[in-house]
Amino acid sequence: MLDARDRVTGRTPFVINHEVPGMLHCRLVRSTAAHAAVRAVRTAEAAAQRGVVAVVTGADLTARGDMAMLFGPVLLDQPVLAVDVVRYIGEPVAAVVAEDPAAAERAAALVEVDYEHKAAVFDADEAFAPGAPLLFPEAPERDPSFADVTLRADHERNVCNTFTVVRGDVEAGFAAAELVVDDVYESPAAGAVPLETHAVVADARPDRLTVWSSTQTPYITRRQLALMFGLPLNRVRVIVPALGGGFGAKAYATVEPIAAALSRVVGAPVRLHLTREEEFVTMTKHAMRVRLRTGVMRDGRIVAREATAIYNAGAYAVISPRKVMFGAYGLNGPYAIPNVRTEAHAVLTNTPPAGAYRGFAINQCAWAYENQLDEIAERLGLDPVEIRRINLLRDGDEFCTGEKLHHLRFTELLDSAAERIGWGTEDPVQVGDVVRAKGVSCVIEGTITPSTSTAAVRLNPDGSVDVLTSSVEMGQGIRPALAGAVARRLGVDPELVQVSYVDTDLTPYDQQTTASRSMYSMGGATGRAADDVLGQVRELAADLLEADPADVVVTNGRAHVAGIEGDGIPIGDVVARSRVGNVLGEGTLVTEGGLDPFTGQGIGSVHWHQSVGAAEVEVDLATGRVTVLRYAGGVFAGEVIDPVGAQHQCEGCLVFGVGNALLEELVFDQGQLVNGSLADYMVPALEDMPASHDFELVEDREQGDVHGLGEPALPPIAPAIGNAVYRATGVRLHSLPISPEKVLRGLRERRDAARRDETVADETVEVHS
Amino acid sequence: MSDDLSQVKLPDDDGRVPVRLDVNGRARTLRVHPTQTLLDALREQLRLHGARSGCGVGMCGACTVIIDEQAVSGCLTMAALCDGRQVRTVEGLEARDGTLSPVPEAFLRHRAFQCSYCTSGFVLALEALLAADPEPDEAAVREAFSGHICRCGSYSRIMAAAREVAGIGTALDVAAVETRERA
Repeated sequence: MLDARDRVTGRTPFVINHEVPGMLHCRLVRSTAAHAAVRAVRTAEAAAQRGVVAVVTGADLTARGDMAMLFGPVLLDQPVLAVDVVRYIGEPVAAVVAEDPAAAERAAALVEVDYEHKAAVFDADEAFAPGAPLLFPEAPERDPSFADVTLRADHERNVCNTFTVVRGDVEAGFAAAELVVDDVYESPAAGAVPLETHAVVADARPDRLTVWSSTQTPYITRRQLALMFGLPLNRVRVIVPALGGGFGAKAYATVEPIAAALSRVVGAPVRLHLTREEEFVTMTKHAMRVRLRTGVMRDGRIVAREATAIYNAGAYAVISPRKVMFGAYGLNGPYAIPNVRTEAHAVLTNTPPAGAYRGFAINQCAWAYENQLDEIAERLGLDPVEIRRINLLRDGDEFCTGEKLHHLRFTELLDSAAERIGWGTEDPVQVGDVVRAKGVSCVIEGTITPSTSTAAVRLNPDGSVDVLTSSVEMGQGIRPALAGAVARRLGVDPELVQVSYVDTDLTPYDQQTTASRSMYSMGGATGRAADDVLGQVRELAADLLEADPADVVVTNGRAHVAGIEGDGIPIGDVVARSRVGNVLGEGTLVTEGGLDPFTGQGIGSVHWHQSVGAAEVEVDLATGRVTVLRYAGGVFAGEVIDPVGAQHQCEGCLVFGVGNALLEELVFDQGQLVNGSLADYMVPALEDMPASHDFELVEDREQGDVHGLGEPALPPIAPAIGNAVYRATGVRLHSLPISPEKVLRGLRERRDAARRDETVADETVEVHS
Repeated sequence: MSDDLSQVKLPDDDGRVPVRLDVNGRARTLRVHPTQTLLDALREQLRLHGARSGCGVGMCGACTVIIDEQAVSGCLTMAALCDGRQVRTVEGLEARDGTLSPVPEAFLRHRAFQCSYCTSGFVLALEALLAADPEPDEAAVREAFSGHICRCGSYSRIMAAAREVAGIGTALDVAAVETRERA
């Protein structure tokens, strides 16, 4: 596998290994106020320290007049360093540039900031209520490069965007329903926790900016930096070596504008590598609260669904304006529901910005609707697997966006997962204080649409192949996967294929490495580039073979006249003998689509991920501790390109799913993160993982679509675990994570309620006797 | 490391302390700040990039190195207190001719990594365990890995590699993902 040796010998090229001669180091001074006017920043003492080169404030940058102070992918709302206002605890206010990181750290502690505190708001429902403190009384400007995102902002209510999906007649649906269940579900803010925190080295020259960054979005970052410094795109070079994980947190610019601005101020390269504490407040998973109302018939058919979701966007919009689209259609779930009205609002609060996160809004949706569906099943006396079978989308059904869906395998995925977990056997089983039970869930998820990927494939005269791509390698294995796919297309040994890291000076445009899009989108672009190479090779070989190009074919890496394989020429030799140097093929894949933000109708996704999960848990009734014993997942993959990589991606989802279900929550007190350390914020270690798990990846090569596998396995995990915990204990939690404290509280409430019922029953008996 | 105060050196005029280390079998002399971590000294002064900072508080294991046969967190170890010690990093597990020692070799064969930021830590934790106990059982391996986080989620392949190199049971069936194809 590509670079595999480097990965076990400590040589993976991370940004933090990168040094530029004369490089300086930076430490940020961060806001201790949740919402305040910045009255003064006192830097003299810090600036006088040994090793300190400069102490820079937002006002210093503004005074230069040679850079825009605001950035952000959709809205230009985020200051490089705070200028007049801070909007969350942890926001960068000033920066110390020094000869070494220790000097920068010591000096940063000496910077003093005077704040004039303003009313702050932390809960998204409160920020959404009339009269709440406003984060942006005036609308920020837009970056026109995100024109596909239609804004329905409401600055009076801190709303940076709203998205609505309407299908059928929801009032009529509820009127016809025989049972309506109406409840509120919550998911907390969480951290993506890539082990490598955000890192950047920026080298700004007057007419040129080079940035080595741990970003998932090199081309968006290039665009942001070009806009900020007023440079043509090609004067900004973004180089992205290997990432130590991303999971969404490294999508969109964060540290790059800061390091670039500082480099420009000090006239030297600057490295900025965040501490873990800083990482936690740099990008978070949206906390989300949804009121979900579902109407069903006695036979289990869902006939109406209404939902209003509030996503806590934190202090800056980042990608929240797009997230509400996923967050609105996502609430429909994988079910054929004739009458739907779902609405999602992204609401700004004085908490750290929320951004992309593995599962992009769908985790929060699935937690709510799969949790509720089990409750509905119980009230109807239906089996949880059965109620899903009744409602799951089937081939040719229309989704809530009006799209007709094809290649749907939900039912067989669910049946298989249920069988593998042993659904239908005795459940729950109690031994002493320990109860075991199982739960299932099903999820539909889209990928970013519209979207564009381009790639180049270069065939060398020795038959080796270079793939030039701007897909970011963050551990998901996109480079070996693309190598395998291109090798297969060209009929050459995968060992002969090299795949680039990203360098915007050299590797062609790609929109972003997010949304599980790369294997489909970049896989498509590199496939087309490989086909372009083959086309050119046929032309060149036709000359060498003295044949009609139309008669020349390439099989197993050799060009030959159709039907006469023996006389073929290896494709590398075709390049050498034709004296063309190399054959350079290009490929582009553009998908079209988009949804109306008022109705949610249109094309939401070029294809839809289908995913199911079944969990078996063990709950200790004495301690409330939940252990996931076994997990059986299933995902529609279309085609698996790299089986080992696919397994890794699904297991990665399991780490996130178990973490989200049982452990992970960013806890804030008046906007101050209180568990921003890996000593306090728990992520799953080996012992937290299920003793056994398996994922079934269903392929359908006829259909030809390769589905990305970075995210689909994740969203069903937490609700499957939650549903299993309910079946084990009778405790139905509506908020994540499922902590021992919440389980114990739930058990106590049940005991108290049972006791009350007994008392009432006793009294009743007395009255009647 | 040493509790003997007479062994503690005072910093020179530039605020640094000289430290002599055996790093992967090679004698190295560094001048470090008294508060500088071993992780920082290895990375920034010796350019050994296999150990990485992940949390700064000894919880994630990404900065693990071996000092005198003990796996330790490089981020919690002061370089100035390592004078005279033997330090091994993941780079030391590869011979000059490219031969890998058995642990990284098993990790490579099992593809027991994704982003690989944590890999050195897991490799060295197992390396230290095997040096102390050449035939550990599964519980001992799990214990050795308990201070290590793989956020990408490569645990089952890491365990497969570890079981093999530790000679525990039969090698795990690594084809845990079943694929089905249907028209």
